[in-house]
Amino acid sequence: MTQIIIQGMLLSGLYALIAIGFTLIFSVGRVLNLAYGAYLMIGGYVYFYISQQLGLPKGVGLVMAAGVGCLAGLLKYRFIAKPLKGNHVAIEISTLILAIVIQSGIILMFGESTKILHSLVPGIIRLEGVTAPWSNILATGLSWVLIVAVFLFVRHTHTGRAMLAVSQDPKGAAICGINAEWINMVTWGISGLLGGVAGVFFASYTQLSPFMWVGPLIVTVAIVVVGGIGSILGTLVVAHIIGFLEIIVVSYIAPELRGIFTMLLIILFLIFRPRGLFGREELT
Amino acid sequence: MKLIETKHLIAWAAFLLVLALMPMFVSNGTLRIFIFANFLAVFAISWDVLSGRTGYISFGHPFLIGIGVYATAIMSKRFGVPVEYSIPLAVLVTMLGSVLVFLPALRVKGSYFALVTLAFMELAYQLVQVIRPDLTGGTRGIFGIKTITRGAENGYYMSMCLMFGIAFVSWLVMRTQLGTALSALGMQEESVEGSGKSTTKLKLAAFLMSAFIAGLGGAFYAHYVGAIAPRTLFDINFLFTIIVAVLIGGSGTIIGPIIGAFFLTFLLEFLRPYLPGAGRYFIYGGIALLLYMYQPKGIYSIVDKLIKRWRGGAV
Repeated sequence: MTQIIIQGMLLSGLYALIAIGFTLIFSVGRVLNLAYGAYLMIGGYVYFYISQQLGLPKGVGLVMAAGVGCLAGLLKYRFIAKPLKGNHVAIEISTLILAIVIQSGIILMFGESTKILHSLVPGIIRLEGVTAPWSNILATGLSWVLIVAVFLFVRHTHTGRAMLAVSQDPKGAAICGINAEWINMVTWGISGLLGGVAGVFFASYTQLSPFMWVGPLIVTVAIVVVGGIGSILGTLVVAHIIGFLEIIVVSYIAPELRGIFTMLLIILFLIFRPRGLFGREELT
Repeated sequence: MKLIETKHLIAWAAFLLVLALMPMFVSNGTLRIFIFANFLAVFAISWDVLSGRTGYISFGHPFLIGIGVYATAIMSKRFGVPVEYSIPLAVLVTMLGSVLVFLPALRVKGSYFALVTLAFMELAYQLVQVIRPDLTGGTRGIFGIKTITRGAENGYYMSMCLMFGIAFVSWLVMRTQLGTALSALGMQEESVEGSGKSTTKLKLAAFLMSAFIAGLGGAFYAHYVGAIAPRTLFDINFLFTIIVAVLIGGSGTIIGPIIGAFFLTFLLEFLRPYLPGAGRYFIYGGIALLLYMYQPKGIYSIVDKLIKRWRGGAV
């Protein structure tokens, strides 16, 4: 039982961490960014390159991962989201294509084989007979900090509130003198940054591979869909529901069924309660 | 209204004759590329019938194709059902499966529909590995499925007939009122409803037709390659290839997906000597992305414009 709680907390923390950036772009930017999984991958590989191939300090790797993630977000906004403004289906399709391009770019540079990432903080800790890597504990803590930070940022800063305004009513926001372009750019940049950071932790939890972006993408989609659009705290809650569900399934039913309930949750929620648990009422 | 102009008919007949004589001039390797292009074209048409027309973007098309593939593979390999029965049955099963995907389409649209179909695909991928591995072959898939053709030449004719048969029938259907209504559905659903048509029935028709093509293509594909594995089937890369073929060729047309499928398959082969591995998708995806961003209507519309200009008409 203790084991399940500890493992569940750690996995949920990791899931919350990878979902924040996606929530931000989906609830504020209103865009289904299918290349989000690729940010994670970029973050993981940048960290791998800096800290393991160049041998620089791990902190530099993490900062660079965040930076490159942010840059990827900005470029994606400038060259894909902005020209296709408002055409959601077109953005989805082009981000899907982009994700494949990034995937094959990484194959060209680093090869197809999986790589083991040395985690940011090495070592493991024993809690109640359960071994937990420090890196996962750090990821869990970081995810809470980041979620609270993003929540406060969106609610209490000028830029954050402007983001909400743009997502709710672009024209009204424009009348109030908000530069929607700038706000969108900030949103994409932050989303990329969060994705890059999350990628470092996710890749040390699993492995680094050019195909690692699909799994977390589906998990984040589930978290956002079930949590509801526009609900940042919903992300935190649902990340825990999904994380615990996975751990319980793995421990009590069968490890192979791990992801099945995640998919079922997406399907059932979209059919029966598309607004999610905490979302605003809307259907587009 | 005449079904087709005589001039066009002659052009098509000449084109088909060239294709029919093709095996006499090219190597078996090239024929195999043609075969894969044909199958991709079938899947692309299937995707286009649903998503290109009605605007309900399906990210789960490999799910439908996979049902057809697995149904016929399991029936013929595990239960010894003859191919003559297993293929039509597989098509039926696929159509039943499409009803499952159809249910969410009644509630959600746009991005949400795309997500639900993506979830269906991943669900199928995971389920196929754990539920009755004795039937599905688990992670390794199924080998030694009875093949219906021997040699590249037979495969070439089989796949060409299949592809052109499906294309022709789809073309006929899309010329009817149903086809027009489906395209209208993609433009503005409310107006179609307002004109007194049942959008539910129209959507169901699109789903069933798309599933019919996907199942048929999938079943023949299974009996052509003879071996299937879940990871190559329920795969986001496979989905990407299908969608890109349609978009590059030109969605909302019949000929577009075919052009796209051939263009992409041959591009991939052309790149093989330079970039042997999966790195080819870098260039392939890059071209797809650029083309999609700047010419969303695809090659078909470029060619169409060129022809019109060549004829001296106003563009």
